[in-house]
Amino acid sequence: MQSHKMIEKKRKSRDGKKHDRPQKFTRKSKFSKKRGKIEDDKRRTGPRLPQSLRIELDRINPNDQSGSEEDEGINDDVYEYEEGVPEEESKKNRRFDSVENYEYELPKDFKDENVDSDDDDDFDGGENKIAHHKGKKGDLDQLDDDVEDEDDERHLRMLQGITGMPSQAFQDRKKTKVVSEGYPESEYNPTRDVLDGDGRIAIEDLLESIQGKPGYRELRKITRQVEKKGKVLQAPLPKEDRDRLERSAAYEQSKKDITRWEPLVKRNREAPTIMFDKDTDSGFSTIGAIASEFEPRTEFEKKMSSLVNDDNVMAAHKEDGSRLLELNKISLEDYISSRNHIAKMRSLLFRHEVKMKRVKKIKSKTYHRLLKKDRLKGSVGISMDAEEAKELAMKQEFKRAEERMTLRHKNQSKWAQRIVQRGIDTQDEGTRAAMAEQLHQHALLTRKMNSMKDSSSSDDSSDEEDSENSDGSDEDKAPKLLAKAREKTRRVLEEDDGVPDSGVLSLPFMKRALKKRKEAADEEGRLAIQEFESSLKELEDTDEAKITKTGTVSGRRVFGASKTQVIEPKNKIRSSSYSSDSEAELEAQEDIDIGLGRTDDMQNNINVNSVSLYVDADIPQDSVLKNSELAKDLGPKMTYEVSILQSNTWKKMSSSRNEVDTNGKRSQKVVEPATHNQDIEFEGVGEDSDADSEGQMLDGILSSEHKSSYKLPSQAELIREAFAGDDVQEEFNKDKEEIMNLENPEPEKPAQLPGWGQWTRVQKKKGLPSWVLEEHENAKRKREEALRKRKDAHLKHVIISEKLDKKAEKLLTGTLPYPFTSKEVFEQSIRMPIGPEFNPATAVRALNRPEVVKKQGLIIKPIRYEDVDSHERGGEERRKSGQKQKIKRSKGRVKAVVAKS
Amino acid sequence: MGAKQENGDPEDILPPLEQELSHELDMKVKKYLRGEGADLEVLKDKKLKGQLYTRENLYGTSAKTAAKTEKWLLPSAGGYLEAEGIEKTWRIKQDTIGREVDISSAKNQYDIVLPDFGPYTLDFTSSGRYMAAAGRKGHLAVVDMKNMSLIKEIQACVLVRETVRDVVFLHNEMFFAAAQKKYPYIYNRDGVELHCLKEHGAVTRLQFLKNHFLLASINKYGQLRYQDVTMGEMIGNFRTGLGRTDVMQANPFNGVVALGHSGGTVSMWKPTSAVPLVKMLCHPGPITAMAFHPDGHLMATSGKERKIKIWDVRKFEVLQTIRGHAKTLDFSQKGLLAAGTGSFVQIFGDFSGSRNYSRYMGHSIVKGYQIRKVAFRPYEDVLGIGHSMGWSSILIPGSGEPNFDTWLANPFETTKQRREKEIHSLLDKLPPETIMLDPSKIGTVKSAKKKEKPTKKEMEADLETAVEAAKGTAIKKKTKGRNKPSKIAVKKKEIVERAKKPFLDQQMVEEEKVAKKKRKIGEEIALPTALQRFSRKKATA
Repeated sequence: MQSHKMIEKKRKSRDGKKHDRPQKFTRKSKFSKKRGKIEDDKRRTGPRLPQSLRIELDRINPNDQSGSEEDEGINDDVYEYEEGVPEEESKKNRRFDSVENYEYELPKDFKDENVDSDDDDDFDGGENKIAHHKGKKGDLDQLDDDVEDEDDERHLRMLQGITGMPSQAFQDRKKTKVVSEGYPESEYNPTRDVLDGDGRIAIEDLLESIQGKPGYRELRKITRQVEKKGKVLQAPLPKEDRDRLERSAAYEQSKKDITRWEPLVKRNREAPTIMFDKDTDSGFSTIGAIASEFEPRTEFEKKMSSLVNDDNVMAAHKEDGSRLLELNKISLEDYISSRNHIAKMRSLLFRHEVKMKRVKKIKSKTYHRLLKKDRLKGSVGISMDAEEAKELAMKQEFKRAEERMTLRHKNQSKWAQRIVQRGIDTQDEGTRAAMAEQLHQHALLTRKMNSMKDSSSSDDSSDEEDSENSDGSDEDKAPKLLAKAREKTRRVLEEDDGVPDSGVLSLPFMKRALKKRKEAADEEGRLAIQEFESSLKELEDTDEAKITKTGTVSGRRVFGASKTQVIEPKNKIRSSSYSSDSEAELEAQEDIDIGLGRTDDMQNNINVNSVSLYVDADIPQDSVLKNSELAKDLGPKMTYEVSILQSNTWKKMSSSRNEVDTNGKRSQKVVEPATHNQDIEFEGVGEDSDADSEGQMLDGILSSEHKSSYKLPSQAELIREAFAGDDVQEEFNKDKEEIMNLENPEPEKPAQLPGWGQWTRVQKKKGLPSWVLEEHENAKRKREEALRKRKDAHLKHVIISEKLDKKAEKLLTGTLPYPFTSKEVFEQSIRMPIGPEFNPATAVRALNRPEVVKKQGLIIKPIRYEDVDSHERGGEERRKSGQKQKIKRSKGRVKAVVAKS
Repeated sequence: MGAKQENGDPEDILPPLEQELSHELDMKVKKYLRGEGADLEVLKDKKLKGQLYTRENLYGTSAKTAAKTEKWLLPSAGGYLEAEGIEKTWRIKQDTIGREVDISSAKNQYDIVLPDFGPYTLDFTSSGRYMAAAGRKGHLAVVDMKNMSLIKEIQACVLVRETVRDVVFLHNEMFFAAAQKKYPYIYNRDGVELHCLKEHGAVTRLQFLKNHFLLASINKYGQLRYQDVTMGEMIGNFRTGLGRTDVMQANPFNGVVALGHSGGTVSMWKPTSAVPLVKMLCHPGPITAMAFHPDGHLMATSGKERKIKIWDVRKFEVLQTIRGHAKTLDFSQKGLLAAGTGSFVQIFGDFSGSRNYSRYMGHSIVKGYQIRKVAFRPYEDVLGIGHSMGWSSILIPGSGEPNFDTWLANPFETTKQRREKEIHSLLDKLPPETIMLDPSKIGTVKSAKKKEKPTKKEMEADLETAVEAAKGTAIKKKTKGRNKPSKIAVKKKEIVERAKKPFLDQQMVEEEKVAKKKRKIGEEIALPTALQRFSRKKATA
């Protein structure tokens, strides 16, 4: 029942308020003027009542509040809007002064430009409003009767019947709050209408207040128009969106602009050469021509040109000089003003001078510093060339850095000083920690410096020593020095440089490192001491030696000691005896001969004898060996090793033969043909079958008999020819195999080190490890593949060398040149020579034309738009179009000339 | 067929004569295009495609112009003997030919009898204007073949008086080199001895590579030498190791020098490689003579076993084997092959173009004269024969190139032109490394074959991959106690280390090498010990 009364009361008040409204809004508007922001906030934040009022309300109707709250709890469980306590309420700051004057007079030229979009609802029809009110009433009823569905439905139906509006319109209203208005209306407690958004301020309301004032009519008119059209201004888009849209629009536009150029650009890009031979006229040829084109642009230029081109002046200049003088006259005012100007300038200059003098006299350094600073600051503003500016900036930066360096860690910064002034104890924890950190850092740095200073102290002592040394005589300088050094190192070793207990060096890993280093140093020192000692001893020894014998020193320089003489030939002989090469043996023999001639040493003789004996013994032994070998394999096929052996033996035989033949008379003439023989016969003989070799032997003996005759090589040739065709193929095959082996070496046979694992039966049984075998297999396969890939793999009678020619490598490219992606295409593209030697004169030019053809001195003008058929291709059309253009352009020029003249 | 004809362009339907002409032109164009262009359709790069397209077009126009030029500006066609009915070309005697030909050609039939200085060898300049003749027993002569005048004759009994084994012209007729008893010498046209090339030793054969300005020689000991005649630098010196030979011929196409050996092998050499490029077994017996076709694709060899073989040098395959013996062989410009033995010269020819040589002509000189050298005269249908009693010249129709290119070789060269050409050819001199079996390979991409030494970057990459692979190896799970993470970590580390080791070792070796080199250089710079005491000591303050 109470609530019923309340509603009635409220309705009444609302009715009454309709009359009050203008007044209320005057007040409101004042506020909105004064602190519009707050007002706005309020409006946005929705229903929020001051705390005090709420309490009051609670006191008045506790049920209602609770009921409504319950309602909210039930229906609004999705999202509960909680609002922070307004600032005015919390009273944390008292920025909001109490307002005394609520009266507000609208200024005469007031025009409310801000038509609030929130008020749009108010332009709805009046019916709606009524419906709303009714709906609200219904809501209240419903609240009154507690929540009963049936009732609700009935009520809704009734409402529908009355208003003819859909039921949803009413259902929505269910959740509205009920607030009684048992308090005076103010900005803090706005009316229900305002809170609910129903009683929004309409433009009409505002207009009413200024009725009859000037400008009212226009306003009215405008509002009417707006109403009629129902045109509503949308809120402007956010700036980002607007910009984006703008950009996209601009992009579209520019795209259109640019696509127009596309065929033109494409044509230029595709053209093998771009010719700039159309506008060969490079413009002005003389200074006069350039000058004639001059047009005054700036103020000064215009003034000058007006003076220069003045008819009077020109005429005077042409006719006679006296007129010119007349024109030159200056008026009195002009003269006075100029004189005054000069005087002013002079006085200014003088004053400046005086001032500078005074400033110069000032002795205060601070003043000068400040002055300089000011000057520098001022100079920064002045435009300089980039280089200077950069330099200056660098300088300043450096200075700043320097300052930073000096001020840091020293508690000299403003902040630190202030803290110190205030007392560190009074500061909070964080600041104190920061200060401590700084101090610590400072301490660290300074300590390091100190330690460095300590180390430098040793220099002093060395200085002293130097002075001591200088006293001593030159002779015993060295031992003294050495002794000194020893002493010093010992001292260094003995002294224990204390490891600092704090700071970085006190960290465990640093300690470790230091220790390690120290140990190393100690070791070195000890070594040094030893060295010193030893050298000292030596010095003493040498001193003694000096006394006893002076002549015998330096064993290396002296030659001719009998010992060495003996040794050298020995070595030679030994080497020669081991070498199987016949030539080497010959050499050895010679050596021995010489040796025999030279020295009569017994030992030497014996040596030689033995060697010669050995050589002698070699011959039959070898021959026997050879014979046995030959007997073993009589077939035409022989292994390679055997052949080598054979050839060796043969060589040896020949050499021995030489020995026998020549006996000692051994002239150069004789040796030469023999070697020549070898050269020719070597291959054939080496691999021949036994019969052949025997024949060769015979031949060899024979040839030795006929050595002096000229026919000898030809005879050999003859024999060679006679036996030709027997083994050439074989020989060649062997050769090929050899070369193949050289270029693709055969993998080594898998073998173990002798004795490796032989005492274990297990390994013996197992044989080689599997991976070794596998690797061997792999290598074999690889080799076979390589052999198969060779160019001469299928050509039995050909050996094609696969050796890389490094010098010819530079004639090939390592990688494909850029635009090409396939080797074939590249190689086909370079198949044609383009030089004048290979092409007709008419084609050479086109083949070798550069990308850009341009006459010297031609200015390349920016590209100009022209219509290009994007589908055309080939140079001829282009050239034609260019010609057309040229014609057009020239026409235009003619026209222009005509117009000018 | 009908449909095809309908579809064909109107150009295709031409009167037969013109069709033939166009076909001929097409053939020539094809020749000048030097092979097919690349298939541009497969290219993805449009820009490149466009560029190549224009290029190909240019090539096409160039080839077309060249073909037209050849057709209309080089009208002379080579003639040849044509037999009628039962007649055989090789039955036709020189007298018969001489009676038929014009006077200027008939002038080229002659014998010059020089009985004193033994068998003669001949060499023509590239234009065919001049001939150098060398008598074995010491006679050198330069003859102008145009007006049959002797330019200079060196009576060897006076000046040389020693064996002359070979003679060869250098780049023009102004200089020629003669291989004499001990050394080869270079003479100028006036017979003044300019150089004695002692390094070459007793040379048996000489060859001059025109484009490279290299004088190649093979001496008695089977040493092949290349000398640059412009600067005198010795470019190459190789021991062939195949014995003495006097069969040597340079391939005019690529500059490769081929040697024929007594073992029946032919080895091909270039000045930048110590091993022969190719070694092929051509005959079971010693090789007596050898010649190259001017286009460089054919080689003819003759062996002591009385066979002449014609080889395709590109494939190293024998094309044809002709029975007969030849002491000397020569190809003419048009591809006729002359083979001389005893006192008989035989000419083989293939006019079908199928590389099938058959008997074309024959000529026998006076019995008892021993032919030493046959040489076709360029741009003339003349064969020069050097023999034991002087030299003779016979007509071989169809042997010489009828159209000469004055830029290349001008028989009517003036002094000024000769000088100009000398300069040009010197400027265009090819470096010796351009001599290779297939010179068209120059400029192409290196075959990505085995490299001698990997670069540092590659080594690093290899190392990285190896380390990665090592890291990836799974470690066996072991029994409980031995499967500790720490142990696994150690093991892994070891594996990685092991993988790294070979690379690091290699690096060490290389570094050592470099260091050694440096040390060597440093030692070189340092004064010899004997002089060190004279070096100025540092001034002591």
